[in-house]
Amino acid sequence: MSETAVHGEAVDWESEDEDSDDSEEEEEEYTSPSQPPSSSNFDKDRHLVYLQMMYELLPYHYQSQEINRLTLAHFIISGLHFLGATDRVDKDAVAKWVLSFQAFPSNRALLKKGEFYGFYGSRSSQFPIDENGDLTHNNSHLASTYCALAILKVIGYDLSTIDSESLLLSLKNLQQDDGSFMPIHTGGETDLRFVYCAAAISDMLGDWSGMDKEKAKNYILNCQSYDGGFGLIPGSESHGGGTYCAIASLRLMGFIGADLLSNDTSSSILDPSLLLNWSLQRQASDGGFQGRTNKRSDTCYAFWIGAVLKLIGGDAFIDKVALRQFLLSCQSKYGGFSKFPGALPDLYHSYYGYTAFSFLEEPGLSPLCPELGLPLLTSL
Amino acid sequence: MDSDATVPLSERPEWSDVVPLSQDDGPNPVVPIAYKEDFRETMDYFRAIYRSDERSPRALRLTEEALRLNSGNYTVWHFRRLVLEELDHDLFEELKFIESIAKDNSKNYQLWHHRRWVAEKLGPAVAGKELDFTRSILSVDAKHYHAWSHRQWALQALGGWENELDYCHELLEADVFNNSAWNQRYYVITRSPSLGGLKPMRESEVSYTVKAILANPGNESSWRYLKALYKDDTKSWISDPSVSSVCLKVLSRTDCFHGFALSTVLDLLCDGLRPTNEHRDSVKALANEDPETNLANLVCTILCRVDPIRANYWAWRKSKITVAI
Repeated sequence: MSETAVHGEAVDWESEDEDSDDSEEEEEEYTSPSQPPSSSNFDKDRHLVYLQMMYELLPYHYQSQEINRLTLAHFIISGLHFLGATDRVDKDAVAKWVLSFQAFPSNRALLKKGEFYGFYGSRSSQFPIDENGDLTHNNSHLASTYCALAILKVIGYDLSTIDSESLLLSLKNLQQDDGSFMPIHTGGETDLRFVYCAAAISDMLGDWSGMDKEKAKNYILNCQSYDGGFGLIPGSESHGGGTYCAIASLRLMGFIGADLLSNDTSSSILDPSLLLNWSLQRQASDGGFQGRTNKRSDTCYAFWIGAVLKLIGGDAFIDKVALRQFLLSCQSKYGGFSKFPGALPDLYHSYYGYTAFSFLEEPGLSPLCPELGLPLLTSL
Repeated sequence: MDSDATVPLSERPEWSDVVPLSQDDGPNPVVPIAYKEDFRETMDYFRAIYRSDERSPRALRLTEEALRLNSGNYTVWHFRRLVLEELDHDLFEELKFIESIAKDNSKNYQLWHHRRWVAEKLGPAVAGKELDFTRSILSVDAKHYHAWSHRQWALQALGGWENELDYCHELLEADVFNNSAWNQRYYVITRSPSLGGLKPMRESEVSYTVKAILANPGNESSWRYLKALYKDDTKSWISDPSVSSVCLKVLSRTDCFHGFALSTVLDLLCDGLRPTNEHRDSVKALANEDPETNLANLVCTILCRVDPIRANYWAWRKSKITVAI
């Protein structure tokens, strides 16, 4: 059983854990009502056990995601923080470990060579620097950089103390002419996920010098589909994850405000009415949210779409009771959440299950920062 | 692929000169992974040749082994590309390699990025192959997001638009609820260099879509597509009799979901449609409530009942109605 992390090779909604089960499920028609929930409540204690287990050792099933180890760490550590279990994490050890993934050029002249100096996703391709102080292979990855900064932010590390100069200077090496971003300078697919990573990184570091916001905005707007949602690339089908990346990025960059729905739309860069309608229509009759029209409900879209609605001011229109019931039917008796009712839990769906419950203001959970997908800290 | 791939690398004579390089997890590693031995060993050998930058035939075979264990490792994919270039390897063979990896795991970005890299190098000569490959993936999962993205890229970069609308129709015949296929229709009519764009295609597409709506009025995809055909042309949207007519036809039926027809009527009214008696009568026939004089208000009221999960939204829409009809 292989699941996939969201960030890292990042935001992999379209990998195994999203739709692959559809083809298996097609054989057993999903006509039955959702199985009775393992509990009629959010089972915080069981989730803590699940996360604690993962924190100590990830089972071998996760080896196929090991290139994104920082992402897995983010899900676990940030997940623990959502559940209020901040004391279970050795903050100093974590900070040291995360910072050890940061790549630096040996001299500034190297910054012009087009490489990105951010964070690696894992140790697997990180080698010691050579005699000249150079990196032998720079595999800094944009999504891993997001996860690294997210972990540090969540554990309360002061991001202003990070040496982010080369990071910000080299970030623009990943931005394309059309405004999109590549994840890694050696080449990779460009799409909205990495625009989002770049925007979130800039926001967390409080410095926008690393990206051309105007170009990024234009790319985002080009990704809006005819039905109001956003695809991951221009022309592609509107998708919950793509829509989240689009709206959260626009919000982080300051192009849209919290008042998008209530304000006179003629002054806005996008007409929110069709977006609102599309987003709300993603709530299916089983109470859950689907990632695309006519697809099955999946736990994680409760966050991706829920956060979009929160950001544009339309979350009051969600049927939160029905959503909660659906999510509880995806709650695993082992702790964690699965994609669908009755499936086995995985870290990605667990994390977004926690963010969804935070969005629903579940008592005992940290509040949510929707544009970063992180627990809101009461103090830094 | 090494014929003795099940033999550990350390026991293969071919690799006896290489010292495997283990992962340096550093002090106090966080979230350690319980690697299986074969995985660990393969990656140790990969690290060794990656570090020494050995771009040889055996390096190529090793990347294959590594990718079969972990097709998401972008470092391995990248190194494989370097080796392919160095060896001037047959890229048509590489297409086949990608297809074999795709059998077990077609849902990762790295595989598709690699496919695109290869196809780009081979150029328009492989336009047909890319359409065939994506078609084969879509035959197993007709909504496969990566396959659709790749297919759209292939059409733009390599060509082959001629049969695409027919292909969409084929998929919609199999499943009219396939939103990806509807999306592809829109892609074709707006971007195909041989079709002239949305306006010239509108009439035939409206006719196609109306048929689909009448066959399945509860299909959100077809309603959205219908509206898309009038994108940025509100005047035609509210004045085209086909649009009103399909709404009224659906509303007059007792055997189907009315929600999308009603919300379409609502949108039309808010966009300036002057309702006829037929509009009023159709809507009133569905009202359990006292019919209000404002038709748009009444539509919202009915929607609160017919689409209860979004009742708050329809109530809000009602509060926002400015048209006095």
